[in-house]
Amino acid sequence: MAMQTVRLALEAMATRFEVVLYGEHPTRLRAAGEEALREIRQLEADLSFYRAASDLRRLNASAAHGPVRVSPRLFDLLQDATRIWKSTGGAFDVTVAPLMRCWGFVGGTGHWPAQEAIERARSVTGMHLVALDAEARTVRFRRNGVQLDLGAIGKGYALEEASHILRASGVERALLHGGTSTIVAIGAPPGEESWKIAIAHPSDSTTPLAVVPLRDEALSVSAVSGKGFVRDGKTYGHVLDPRTGHPVRGAILAAVAHRSATICDALSTAFLVLECESGELNMASGDSMRTLAACRCEDGTLEIHRSGIDLYFPEVTSSTLLTPHHHEAR
Amino acid sequence: MKHDEHAHAADLSRRNFLKRSSMASLFGLSGAVEIIPPAPRREAAARPTAQAPVNCAIIGFGARGRELAATLGRVPDANLMAVCDTYDIMLRRAQRQTPDASRHADYREVLDNADVQAVFIATPTHLHREIAMAALDAGKHVFCEAPMASNIEDARAMAQAARAAENQIFQVGQVYRSNPQHRSVFQFMRSGAIGKPSMGRGQWHSKQSWRRTSPNRDREQALNWRLDANVSTGLIGEVGLSQLDVAFWVLAELPRAVSGFGQIMAWDDGRTVPDTIQAVFEFPSGLHMMYDATLASSFDDAYEIYFGTDSAIIFRDKGKAWMFKEVDSPLLGWEVYARKDRFYKETGIALLANATKLDAQNQDPTEDDPSIESPLWYALQEFMENHAFGPFPPSSDYQKGFEAAVVAIKANEAITQNTRVEIDPSLFSID
Repeated sequence: MAMQTVRLALEAMATRFEVVLYGEHPTRLRAAGEEALREIRQLEADLSFYRAASDLRRLNASAAHGPVRVSPRLFDLLQDATRIWKSTGGAFDVTVAPLMRCWGFVGGTGHWPAQEAIERARSVTGMHLVALDAEARTVRFRRNGVQLDLGAIGKGYALEEASHILRASGVERALLHGGTSTIVAIGAPPGEESWKIAIAHPSDSTTPLAVVPLRDEALSVSAVSGKGFVRDGKTYGHVLDPRTGHPVRGAILAAVAHRSATICDALSTAFLVLECESGELNMASGDSMRTLAACRCEDGTLEIHRSGIDLYFPEVTSSTLLTPHHHEAR
Repeated sequence: MKHDEHAHAADLSRRNFLKRSSMASLFGLSGAVEIIPPAPRREAAARPTAQAPVNCAIIGFGARGRELAATLGRVPDANLMAVCDTYDIMLRRAQRQTPDASRHADYREVLDNADVQAVFIATPTHLHREIAMAALDAGKHVFCEAPMASNIEDARAMAQAARAAENQIFQVGQVYRSNPQHRSVFQFMRSGAIGKPSMGRGQWHSKQSWRRTSPNRDREQALNWRLDANVSTGLIGEVGLSQLDVAFWVLAELPRAVSGFGQIMAWDDGRTVPDTIQAVFEFPSGLHMMYDATLASSFDDAYEIYFGTDSAIIFRDKGKAWMFKEVDSPLLGWEVYARKDRFYKETGIALLANATKLDAQNQDPTEDDPSIESPLWYALQEFMENHAFGPFPPSSDYQKGFEAAVVAIKANEAITQNTRVEIDPSLFSID
């Protein structure tokens, strides 16, 4: 029987999710894809920072007043977020929402806030202010005003969960992505070794920066958005260092490939915070992880740090490329 | 004697007995007039409860079973201690979602566990009867998903068993009847603000194949019970029933005939269950209600609208409601201050159960209220409170469940035969 292709899409988490499935039975492929997308929709309802009835919103509303028991999956995700916070030395932090708001990065272009405002926001930022009790499966905020926002990890988590459902349904060849910035590959397209994902060049729209072969692995790409503001001749993008409470000029683009889409999503965000010069960027290579980060030097040239990801060479036929649009760094 | 072994699960304390007898006589006197107990207040959730948590088990861990589990996790006094499903993949999902609950492939293990007090049945519809009857026989309180059954004989047997088990709760998952927002609009409609009710219309639109898949072909067949014409109640039963049940409630009458049409328009994959349906229900008052559902288009989602000579009222988004007034309708007074939303060229007056409260809290009423739970949460909370202080007849009891099932089954008959089917009122009797 000939291989057939089924494509499905869903609008969720303020982005567009897509699934492409290859197989012999389009009816079954569609059924599997629909269940995977239903799972993403469910996770959106549970994890959304904005939806009034979400588990996360409930947690944010009451965890400062006492321990709140949460679902096992939300608890696991918060444990993952804590681990990544530790391993990145605080560069990845799901409590950064008050700081983002303070700098006007939520729905605006940003402004330099008063020092007291920064200090106030900093005082309620940091995963050390979130107490997780694994025994009771409860979450408590150690200070009033702490807010969890899973925007930088939720999409990866949803894609990872959706990919589990596809595999359990018998799907052997599929590509899932959320807003093209986080991608999960199951198997490979018919007759191919792997899915090939192009990472757009930050300053050259005609040639990709790299093409990443993916098979049973995930890839996430983060980049600094065009938005930002200028102060004292320096341009600041929408990237805050949760450790200092100030905008940083770290990598302008970061990509992470790993088995776990959750880890990819979180680390690609964290890489934008890590300083290029200090060698911080090398911390996450190894552990079957492939990374790439691009920093802009003073003279405007790009400095590329990479481990396991080759830069693009033109032999790859462009017809096999999917070009991700980087999600905006938050 | 299984029943005796488990009798303690349904034991009534003296206080419960007193409460029950007084409420029972009140219900007996009420006749055709429906008594709506005050909507449960969410503040009650924080009250220290005298009773120990109710030990619950979920039988059937598909999408609905998982939703039950997630919701039970937030309902005070509910302790989910066991989960049952015949499919190992669902049990693996249960292990992740509810690691503290024991997992079983055979529902009899759950019923044999004397510690389980209440079972929540979320299996395919045609399997409800066997499990519900066994659960009642084992002395368990039962929450059964709607439709109660896929044929009238099964539904009647279940209703009779539930009636006989008078010390046990039997609640059917027609959850809007427990929803404070629906209760509030119900009272509003009954007060006459709509004028003379003249027509109803409902829809459910969702683009999806309604198919499930599994690497195991036998399992796949079992998972696709909705597409098996021998056991499925079709779109009208599996999704339409919960919306139509609201119509029976607010109109306070049951249809005496239904005309139906069914087509396969989008998913011609060998199925025989229609993916697109239309039905017209005829009520004794003369009012007709139209309903359509499709798996071909998602346009405009789901809603029900009731047209009257003074206004039309629309329900959507699981309990939100708006009123559209005729220009010549009497002034109600409060609507001058009420929130208004634009619907293309019409202006809808929002009917909010807690508008004053939101105002007092300085909360934007256009935002979803974080203190509002889902209709399922309120239904489960009603179940738990009933356990503590009842059992009273649930707002969706065996009779309401039976009536809705009868209508859905007859409507499905009309739809699959493209014909008009009379519903003899005697069909609504469980005797």
